[in-house]
Formats: sequence, structure tokens, C-alpha cells
Amino acid sequence: MTRSAAWTADRVSAAMQGLGTGESVAANRVRVSVPAARVLEALARTRDRLRCDHLIQIATVDTGTTFELHYHLTGAHRGIVSIRVELPRDAPRIRSAHGILPPAALYERQIHDLFGIEFEGHPDLRRLILNEDWPESEYPLRKDWVMDPGKSYGGAAKEVG
Amino acid sequence: MSLSRRLVAWARGKSPWIFLFNSGACNACDIEILAAITPRFDVERLGILAKGSPRHADILIVTGPVTRKQAARLRRVYDQMPEPKYVIATGACGANGGVFQGLYHVLGGADQVVPVDIYIAGCPPRPDEIIDGIAKCVALIKADARRDGRVTRRSGPAPPQEAVG
Amino acid sequence: MAEIVVPIGPQHPALKEPVNFRVIADGETIVRLELDISYNHRGIEKAAETRDFVHAVPLLERICGICSHSHTTAFVQGIEEAMRVRVPPRARYIRTAVAELERLHSHLLWLGVAAHEIGFNTLFMWTWRDREVVQDLLEAISGNRVNYGVNEVGGVRVDVPERVVARAMKDLSFLGRRIERYGTLVREEPTTLVRFRGVGRLTPDAALALGTVGPTARASGVPYDVRKDDPYAAYDDIPFRVVTQTAGDVFARTLVRIGEMAESVGIVRRSLLDLPGGPLKVTSPRVAPRAEILSRYEAPRGELVHFIRTNNTDKVERLDVRTPTLANWTSVVSSLRGHPLADLPVVVAAIDPCLSCTSRIAIARPDGTGTTSMTWDELRDHGKRYYRATEGL
Repeated sequence: MTRSAAWTADRVSAAMQGLGTGESVAANRVRVSVPAARVLEALARTRDRLRCDHLIQIATVDTGTTFELHYHLTGAHRGIVSIRVELPRDAPRIRSAHGILPPAALYERQIHDLFGIEFEGHPDLRRLILNEDWPESEYPLRKDWVMDPGKSYGGAAKEVG
Repeated sequence: MSLSRRLVAWARGKSPWIFLFNSGACNACDIEILAAITPRFDVERLGILAKGSPRHADILIVTGPVTRKQAARLRRVYDQMPEPKYVIATGACGANGGVFQGLYHVLGGADQVVPVDIYIAGCPPRPDEIIDGIAKCVALIKADARRDGRVTRRSGPAPPQEAVG
Repeated sequence: MAEIVVPIGPQHPALKEPVNFRVIADGETIVRLELDISYNHRGIEKAAETRDFVHAVPLLERICGICSHSHTTAFVQGIEEAMRVRVPPRARYIRTAVAELERLHSHLLWLGVAAHEIGFNTLFMWTWRDREVVQDLLEAISGNRVNYGVNEVGGVRVDVPERVVARAMKDLSFLGRRIERYGTLVREEPTTLVRFRGVGRLTPDAALALGTVGPTARASGVPYDVRKDDPYAAYDDIPFRVVTQTAGDVFARTLVRIGEMAESVGIVRRSLLDLPGGPLKVTSPRVAPRAEILSRYEAPRGELVHFIRTNNTDKVERLDVRTPTLANWTSVVSSLRGHPLADLPVVVAAIDPCLSCTSRIAIARPDGTGTTSMTWDELRDHGKRYYRATEGL
């Protein structure tokens, strides 16, 4: 498969100076782990210094001990930068990126629904993907989530009669 | 049978009006149902019309495994239909949730929420199989209409239950 | 005028997809749009964690019944990358042919639905009749009209023998001629010109800033296309054009999709005529080593992403799917501002929503008295009446 001009870990590291070091994870993808507290700065640099103008995805992983967020961005150069942050499981919160990357608003809302991660400064973290009767604080995509037989999750017989 | 009853039976059998309800489907069944009204399959020549409101429908066609979001709405749509009414559950999802059986946001089958008269197998069923299912439903309608219009074949919904847990 | 919120529901016969909107309208003008997309959430990502790769494929195929091959290809490509498995060239070409046939059926479907939204039912019937040619060809290749089941980890499950290739060439010639006809028709027909031009305009800057993908973005001049930007399957070998427009309105999106259909016909033709010999698949291990893969695919609606983490087992540790429709909702919300209510069905349809969205929109009075409600049918009729009155359509 062809790739565009070298999208090197060094180039990304230079732009991310002080925040993290670039690691080549695929021929066209460099991943940088940054402290959660500095994610907005990292995203702004990715947008401005690395000319990434398209937010591909905010991927979420529950590793069992932490939550990881991966912000994948790309641009006309066809290289991909993945900004990776780790959040503690007992207090998963991070600043919302919607001010820098408007599409983040919808993606963060969905992540909040499914994982319970708090995005500070988000204008509207209402339910997006789970039904309106889904109980609070039940985050189905967490690895340790199991359905509680004592709770109603919506759509059950008693609701429909 | 009296003349008026025979007229009613004839009218009901001739042009069943259907209401389509997507209970959280992937859309494969919905597209094949739509294909049934397009020229290759042309179900409208059989007098079958898709209506925009359940209040005018004879047959409710349900696609999807019934997500938790859609369950109450499905029931409401069914309740809005005048008697005699019939329900067709489409595809594997309509029967028992299909590949989505047991997933946390899915109840698993239309009969978790409404009584079902006809199940059409497939994932998705082809348009001709869908027309066949509708035709079988029309036969039910005619048979019931000849018998004073009382729906006799339905046994009631399976006791509704949580799909998981 | 006081703001009113417009409810439209529950379902409507043609656009078989549930999306829930709250439209806040100042008289006829849309001020704001709010979204609820939970109608077909099923819990697939969670389920993928408990199914081995073989069983995961039929599940993921049914994320969406229109772009099923997109999801299975994105997935198996990701697992193959994790396993460092090289798929044989014949399989890559077959994946490409099926992918472009999927784009063809999907775009024809879209054109028919968009026509239906503006009351142009003849075009709906024509496109869906022609679409049957694509369905038949997919069935000849895979055995199924929908959910073709072509992919498995390591390659493909079906071959395309010479007689099917010969039949395909005839079908493709027919489709090519029909697509050209549609291109001419939409440029001449008053209905499409009035209802699509200038509607739902998205500037190039807005398209980029809002994360728009696919034909919706390309209609605003954003030239991103995963088949060129991050080539997969056989796209590196087969020449084709990325189709763009600049006006960014619904009309431009129509032209992009018609142009893409013409390109797809060419790609299918090339991939079948140049079909390399050799095996259909390689044996892949049962287990995937620890890896993290970002698998991207240009689905009919735009960039599709499967982010995959494997962990030395026969299942994914995590599968995170971002569909193109999710990426495009932000732009719908933005591009409808200031438009008349009459344009809502068209602008929503123009992003070609495929999330099994529920068409339900809520209208409420801000002073709290009573609720007016419209079915989607009524809103569509409202649109037709509006344009009859204002444009004499």
C-alpha cells in the first residue's frame, strides 16, 4: 500500500515537545501519550502545527485499571496522529474538546452515556444512545458492568403492558 | 353468511393496508419490504398499501429485534390500530432477536411486546418471501372475516420478559 | 414569533430509519435542532467482546443492512493487520468489486429515497428498479441480495467465476447508461433543481470543522476519500477519480453520488476483468496477538472506522465503531439552521442517514399550551405545498 510522504514519529514528537513523545504504530499513524490535563493543548497543536483538520474518532478503551481515550486526527497530508490519554477509573474526567474540535461534542456525549466519563465544559451531556429509562450510573461498556436483575433497563413488560 | 358479512370479508381480503414499524432494525428487512413495492415485485398491484398512520392499518409489519427504546412505542402503535388487526414479525430479529439476541439494549422478538400472527423467516427475507408472508396474512384475514370477523388464530403474546438478566 | 418545537412522528413509510429530532422553529424557520439517536442501539460493541472472530463477522455484518460489507471488511482487515496476515490478491479484488457494488446499490437507494422526499415518485421507482440489477449481481456472486457474507478473516468465502464476470459486464454497461441518464435528469428536472439547489448549504470550512465525511463532505469540496487517503483492498491498483463538487448543497451531494456511481461501475469492471488468479484466502491463526489497529474504510456514506484492540485471544478486547452517519449528524444540525421546516426531510435525507435513525420530530409551544404534531408524511406534504406556493412547483 502506498503512503504519502514520511509521517515520522520524530515530526510528531517535535510538535508535541513537552507533552509527549511520538511512537510509530502503523506506517501512517503516530501515537502520542499525553497527560489528561493537557489534552486540549495537545489537540490544538495537532490541529495547528501538524495541520490535522479532520477528527476521525475519539476511541475509548476500558483497560480494567484505567480508561483510555484516543483522539485520532488526520489532514490533507494523510498522516494520522493519535493523542492518547489515560484516566483513573475511579474519577474519569477530562476537559471537553468541543471548543477546539466541534464534532467532539457528539462523540463525547456518546462516550459519557456508555462509559460514564465526565467531559468538563461540555454544553449538553444528556442521553444520546441509551433509552430514556436506562438507569443512572449504569455504564454498559465498562468491562465490569453486569446487568442488575433488580433494576429495570427500559422497554420491559411492565412499561409496555 | 349474511350479505353484509360477505362484503366486509371481501373488502378486508382485497386491500389490506399495512403499517411498517422499525423496532431498531439494521434496515435490511426495511429495504427489502420497500423493494416489494417497487416495479420488480410491485406489491401494490395486490392492493396492499403502506399507510402513514396505524389508525388506518389492518396489518402491522414489525422489523427489528425490538430495542428497549422502541418497545413502548411499538406497543402504542399496536394499541392505536382498530380491530381486527394482525401483526407480521419480519426476519430472524422479529422472531427472537436474531443475531442480537441477548444484547443489553434488545428485548428479542416482536412477540415480547405484541401478539404476532405471522413470522417471516430470513435475515433478511427476500421481497418475494415478504409478499408471501403478507399473502398468508391476507388469507388469515379472509378466514377470520368469514367467521364473524373474530380473530381466532392468535394465542396471545408470550409472557413478556426481560431479554437478559 | 414565539419559538415552537415541532414533533413529527412516529414512522413514515419510505425513509425506514428512526431518528428522533426536536426542532425548535420560529414560525417556519428552523432555529435549532436536537438529536436523539437511541432507537436502534443494540449493544453490538459489547457483544463483539464475547464472540470469536468467526462469530463476530455475521454480527457486525448486521450493524447496517445497507452497508454490511463495509463493516465486515473494516473488521476483518483490522484483524488481519493485527495477525500480520497478507490476504491474497484475488480476495482483495473480490472485496473491492463487492464494495463498489454495495456503493452502487446504496447510492441508487439513496437517489430513490431523496426523490420520494420531494414527491418525485417516478424517479424513486426507476432507481429502485435499476437497483435490482445490482442486487441480482450481488446474489450471483455471493448467494444473497443483502448481507452477502463475502468476508472472513484471511480472505473471502466466495469466488467470481468467468461466467459471472461475463454477466457482470453486461449489467455494468446497462447501469452505466442508466446512471448517465440520471445525471442528465437531475440537472434538467425542475423538481430536483428547486428542491435541492441552495438547500442545506455547507461551506468547505464548515464541512471540515464539523467533521463531515463522505459524499456530504466531498460536495463541499473536501476531497477526503479513504480509498485514496488510506488505501485498502485493491484500491491501490485500480485507477478511479474522487468526485467532488463545490456548492455544498443537496444538489451538489446528488451530483457527487451520481458521479461516484459512474466511478463505481468502472472500478467493478476493472476489478473483475483484472481478477488475479490464486487462492481466495490464507489460513489465519485462531488467536490475534496483542495489537491496536485503526481500520478505516470508505463506506457509501463516508469514512467508517473500526478501532480494534486485540489481546492474544480469539476475541477483540475492544471494538469501537464510528459510523459515517454519526460523523455527519453534526453538520445536519448546523446546516438546517435558518432553513424553512419544509426543507428538513430533504436535508436529513441528503446526508443519507444510515443509523437506523427514527424519524420523529417534536413540536411544542414555548408557552406550554398543547402540542402540535406532524407525521413525517405530513411534513413531506408540507414541504411540497410550501414549494408549490412559493415556487409554483
